[in-house]
Amino acid sequence: MPEVINPTIELPLYILLVLLCLLAGCFVLAMKAVKNMAAALQEQPDAMLPLVDATKPGTTPLHRWDARFKIAAIIGFAFLTVSLHRSLYIGAALLVAAGLVSLARLSWSRSLRRIMAMNGFLAMFLVVMPFTAIIHPDDTLIQFGALSSWPLNLRGLELAVQIVGKAWTVALLMEPLLATAPLGSTLAGLTRLGVPDKVAELLLIAHRYIHVFFGELQRMRCGMEARAFRSGFRLGALRDYGNFVGMLLVRSFERTHRVYDAMQARGYAGLMPQQEVGKAKAADWLKMILLVVVGLILLIGDRLAGGAA
Amino acid sequence: MHQLASRPPLDQTGETLFSLRDVSFSYPNGTAALDTISLDIAPGDRIAIVGQNGAGKSTLLKHLNGLLPTQDGTLTYKGLPFDPDHLRKARLEIGLLFQDPDDQLFCNSVEEDVLFGPLNQGLAPDVARSKCEAALADVGLEALGARPPHRLSYGQRKRAALAGLLAMEPEVLLLDEPTANLDPQQEELLLQRLKDYPGTIVCITHNLLFAYELCQRTVVLEQGRIHHDFSLRELVSHRAALRGHGLDFSFRFVEQALPENGGSEVTTSPGSEESVVAAEPLVSLHDYSFAYPDGTEALNGVNLQIRPGEKLAIVGENGAGKTTLVSCLMGLQLGRGLYRLNGETVSASNRKQSCRTVGLVFQDSADQLFCPSCAEEVAFGPRQLGLDKVETERRVGSALRQVGLEGYEERVPLHLSGGERKRLALAAVLAMQPDVLILDEPTAGLDPDGEERLLNIIRNLDVTLVLVSHDLFFVRQLARRTVVLHDGMLVQDYSTESFFNDANLTTLNQLDFTYRNRCGLEIMKLQHEHEHTHLHSHLHEHEHRHGDQVHSHPHEHEHEHAHTFSHTHHAHPEKPVAAPEHGHLPRADKPHQHDHPGHEDEPHDHDH
Amino acid sequence: MHISDGVMPTSLAIGSGVVSLALTAWSAHRTRNRDLPKVAVVAAAFFVAALIHVPLGPTSVHLVLPGVVGALLGPSAFIAIAIGLVLQSLLFQFGGLTALGGNALLMGLPALGCGLLFQLLKGTTIRRQMLVGGLSGGLGIIGSALLLALLLAASGEDFLVVAKFALAAHLPVAIIETLVAAFIVRFLARVKPEMLTAPFTLKD
Repeated sequence: MPEVINPTIELPLYILLVLLCLLAGCFVLAMKAVKNMAAALQEQPDAMLPLVDATKPGTTPLHRWDARFKIAAIIGFAFLTVSLHRSLYIGAALLVAAGLVSLARLSWSRSLRRIMAMNGFLAMFLVVMPFTAIIHPDDTLIQFGALSSWPLNLRGLELAVQIVGKAWTVALLMEPLLATAPLGSTLAGLTRLGVPDKVAELLLIAHRYIHVFFGELQRMRCGMEARAFRSGFRLGALRDYGNFVGMLLVRSFERTHRVYDAMQARGYAGLMPQQEVGKAKAADWLKMILLVVVGLILLIGDRLAGGAA
Repeated sequence: MHQLASRPPLDQTGETLFSLRDVSFSYPNGTAALDTISLDIAPGDRIAIVGQNGAGKSTLLKHLNGLLPTQDGTLTYKGLPFDPDHLRKARLEIGLLFQDPDDQLFCNSVEEDVLFGPLNQGLAPDVARSKCEAALADVGLEALGARPPHRLSYGQRKRAALAGLLAMEPEVLLLDEPTANLDPQQEELLLQRLKDYPGTIVCITHNLLFAYELCQRTVVLEQGRIHHDFSLRELVSHRAALRGHGLDFSFRFVEQALPENGGSEVTTSPGSEESVVAAEPLVSLHDYSFAYPDGTEALNGVNLQIRPGEKLAIVGENGAGKTTLVSCLMGLQLGRGLYRLNGETVSASNRKQSCRTVGLVFQDSADQLFCPSCAEEVAFGPRQLGLDKVETERRVGSALRQVGLEGYEERVPLHLSGGERKRLALAAVLAMQPDVLILDEPTAGLDPDGEERLLNIIRNLDVTLVLVSHDLFFVRQLARRTVVLHDGMLVQDYSTESFFNDANLTTLNQLDFTYRNRCGLEIMKLQHEHEHTHLHSHLHEHEHRHGDQVHSHPHEHEHEHAHTFSHTHHAHPEKPVAAPEHGHLPRADKPHQHDHPGHEDEPHDHDH
Repeated sequence: MHISDGVMPTSLAIGSGVVSLALTAWSAHRTRNRDLPKVAVVAAAFFVAALIHVPLGPTSVHLVLPGVVGALLGPSAFIAIAIGLVLQSLLFQFGGLTALGGNALLMGLPALGCGLLFQLLKGTTIRRQMLVGGLSGGLGIIGSALLLALLLAASGEDFLVVAKFALAAHLPVAIIETLVAAFIVRFLARVKPEMLTAPFTLKD
């Protein structure tokens, strides 16, 4: 260890064990939640793939927001959020995102589900970062009993917490972005922002067929289970997985040709027909400016506080 | 693109809508699919294209809207060949209904999908929207326009796809197996809708009952050639012709006419009536319920006992809970209540073992077949059971033999025909030697030839059979006992005979089985022994006078002559069962003599 | 196999996004125009295939298959992966908005590399295609893991150890993917060999 004296808090070893147990418990709970969700959804084929678009029109300011401005504003806010360095401001950004979710009167359970699903991955940061972050001269360390060579770096912990906060913020933003308009309108907004029409079209087609193939996947999976398929890390089982995926791909390739035929048969000439779109109103501009300015204020505050520190 | 308030149709030139002259087509891999097809389709024609799998039906249909280019010969639509400009316009008034609605519903909501065509036609958005609404109302989906297609049932998706065509107000509808995988109720809905459609219809189908209701004219394809082209009434009354093309569905009626014989055959299988009653139940459900996570009660207090050797049919309308019941029996789902299989209670911990005792053949073989060779496919189950190599191979051999697929070991399942795939799926399940065999809609999508072979195989199996089917003929042939599911409840459990005599069923459970029976009876009337005269043309061999020479050789020509045609059905049970016969041979009282214009120009393989 | 929001500094996130966009445009350019809808359908299939979990000890890993995407789609692979990732971020929760570019790079570059490798070495026999397919499958994962480690390391010195962890964690995944990819290619070579010739790519 280099000869640097860091502010150090000494704690008995068992606290570490308790902490680790707590973390492991959280991790197990999170994994279980994900697994339960998957199981519940698997029994209900419809819902395994969450719908990303609104099927019924809403009346909130977010629903009425022109898709172009909504996309620009929310993506802008997301990038401003990930640029923040201070936990306080990241917390504020998280609150703004949460505010948008409630403003759009979206279901919290769906938003929370989004967050739960990524927590397993984020937990890795929470566990690993405190012990592996490089120790800077003024970092506060926590030493557990005899484990002096393996200190917990509070700055690492803070870094991990910040990542979790940013990831949650962006995840929360997805709902107001996507669930307040039909996917078609959202993607049409994207093309009006300068993204080629073709891209939106490909996304729409892919989105549609993900649902079709997911149905195929589930039925084929059922077909395997009905013949006593035992999964596992064995050569035989891996071969079955290979065949399974291979068949899925073959079916999709065969379908590509039929889909293309069907498109042509109804007069497809290289581009999906455009739906009518509304004109931008002052309110659309205002909302966008408001959100981006909030993001900028957070960023400036963050940087100024950084300069003072 | 300029936007129109309405779209004028292309000008009609000439009398025919489509005119094909010597059209031939072979695929890049060398398979010849069409061979010198000549065909005229007039406006307002309703044509059924029938023939065995691989006869070139789909290839022909794809020519009619230019999805496949004409390689040889000429094809005109409204007098003009499909050059790029004409083709683009023509496609906007020729609607093609694909067999799988998912191929056609490529947008993310039903509404967007229905709008796709009218907008491509260049209609103004508000006009397109009103057409879309009208088309959706037309097929009874007005309330579901905003739904994504994957949240619709199969039948609804089929109708949504049709709405997408109707919104374009097409002059021609090309239909590819429109009734495949539809239950009788959905089939009738579709039929009613199509009957109201005023334009030209060209329809590929194995379902002759459906074709009979919809079409007047029929074209029989065999190996890429037109073999017959006559009215549908004539086709169905020519049993020999049907049989020759693997289209003979009348085996259904002949069998139906002899319930005693059919019945005794079923009881010859092991487990005679008494021992069936005495044996311990193999499957026993007591007060069994199942609810999906969203709260839908799919099964509600079901009590069901199946004894070894029993042949049971489960019937019910779509959504009655048949599929859920099957997946519970398979252990794929676990509900509330008691399920005992072979005396053991099926619980969360051992439900995955159920599939060792219960085998299931899926409705769609594609969901069950995923191996690169037939041998591997059949070996999959035994391998999962942990059997050794020798035993696995033995079972593969015997299972393939049982379904008549010996020699298919190295063939690729994906490349087999629909009927072969169904039998392969059956073999794959049989190789696991299940005690209970469940067949889910075994006849869906099979041609009549395939149905008959499958029936004969299943009949000879020595297992406890559970048949889930809308196909009443199969139910009558295979099952001794029938249970009726309705709204997740088991409302009837009686002998198959009582089921057939249960007059309340159609009204009680919306089980619309009468429609098929109605068509069937009408067709059977046509198959009386009869004699009639009509003009038709086909290839046949008979002696004929040629100048001063009398000789016989096959030749194709159009002529008028009397036919005798006889077969047996339930209306004449007292008549001896004779092989149905289509008498093209000259009868003693009516010598077959006619002119043969153009004889000299025809190719001959003999001297005069 | 992904970077979450908030790990990469904004400059890196935007930089990788720009590179990804350029690669997507190139990939679209190399695909026959009329085949683009087909690429979208196949992208959907790969998306769904990535939902398949293979059990590994007490946990399970989901298939990623960058090598197979490359082998089947050639240069079109990048646009397929970009489509897949955008939809993943729309439908699910992983790899959020700001990390899209980085994630596209770490999946897409190995896919392009493996595609090239597969087309160069595949030979004609099923056995050889299976071996090369497996190799591409394994290398695809290893390549992705290396890029992931690289991006993490570039995000700050604090992430060095995490990068090493991530690299190590992908070794078992690489083994599974090698085998599964080999079997997928074997299946395709026997059932539909034309799929192994990058059918949607513009041929020179």
